[in-house]
Amino acid sequence: MNADVVVIGSGPAGLQAAISSSRKKADTVLLGKPSNSALSGTEIENYFGLAGVTEGDVLLSNGTSQAEAFGCRVIRQNVLGASADGDAFTVEIESGEKITARSVVIATGVSRNKLGIPGEKEFFGKGVSYCADCDCNFYRGVPVAVIGGDSAAAEAAKLLSGYASKVYWISEGPIADARLVAEAAEAGAEAVRGAPAEIVGTSGAEAVVLKSGARIPVNGVFIELGGRSSADIAMDLGLMPEADDTIKTDPNGGTSVRGVFACGDITGRPWNVAKAVGQGAAAGMSAAEHSRR
Amino acid sequence: MVTELTDTTIDEFVKNNRVAAIDCWAPWCGPCRRMGPIVEEAAADLAGRAGVAKLNVDDNQKTSLKYGIRSIPTVLLFRDGALVDTHIGLIMKADLVGLIEELL
Repeated sequence: MNADVVVIGSGPAGLQAAISSSRKKADTVLLGKPSNSALSGTEIENYFGLAGVTEGDVLLSNGTSQAEAFGCRVIRQNVLGASADGDAFTVEIESGEKITARSVVIATGVSRNKLGIPGEKEFFGKGVSYCADCDCNFYRGVPVAVIGGDSAAAEAAKLLSGYASKVYWISEGPIADARLVAEAAEAGAEAVRGAPAEIVGTSGAEAVVLKSGARIPVNGVFIELGGRSSADIAMDLGLMPEADDTIKTDPNGGTSVRGVFACGDITGRPWNVAKAVGQGAAAGMSAAEHSRR
Repeated sequence: MVTELTDTTIDEFVKNNRVAAIDCWAPWCGPCRRMGPIVEEAAADLAGRAGVAKLNVDDNQKTSLKYGIRSIPTVLLFRDGALVDTHIGLIMKADLVGLIEELL
């Protein structure tokens, strides 16, 4: 599939970028799951022009409809990877489809990658990992667990099946695309339905205990929430994020890579809807203009 | 250019530097690649005061086993030949330099 502009991330920044880009008549594709936005499940009362308290999901839903009304194609899937080829960029999504565009807007927000359960911090680096790509090689021939239900977990479960003696993929029900779920199962990962309560061990992680009380003995616990990290997507596109995972932009949302723009929480604090929307407008307009050059 | 150590040269590097910091990394690891320039800059800042080097864990698995490395990037911090601290994960340059300066 081809487009002028691909926007990655469907929170306030990404939605506004998509609205601004498509209103400028650029053929725009918006990628992401609104439920992954930090605004989902919250309420807002300090946004210009909104009286009283408004549910975040209402804003996200309205914003998606607005973008679609301007002609934007909305695809509710995560990004698996991206690449740069000359002055074009290609983004692969969960279904396996690839979208090529001259402009990309990164609006993936700040990833929540921690579970916040007992044992998680204690065993970090001693069995607990947040990067299957980085650490898979250390878990050859031992059983591991992958925690998370989205595309990052599915990819990790598939990858680790080539290294570990056994992979338990723990989730409360996978929300990754069916293709990825099937690939993880074909690779040998065993799906375990449940929510993790604790990671236990002595000098290293030895088991994941579920809220049901079930104990799954493993030597490695890979916590992989959401989709591909913003930092990895940026690097795929030739952009080096800062050490704190933020991306530097100019006032128009431009980055150090021509044709790649960024907006919203990924550009740094303050994490604020009004700021995200303002940056989204600038980045969306810039991306649309760039795609026509 | 930061010194690239191996399983056979790491001990000598640690012996020859009263304070040594070794960034254990691998090329397929995104956070490790981001750590590269940070380590380069820290090495330049600390030149003459501490030894800062890198070690590819993929090519040097004996060191990974010896120090129980199971997550990368990991920075091993040595003073007077002994491992005194370990930092796991990506770290800002100022924080890395701070960790090393505490050992000087």
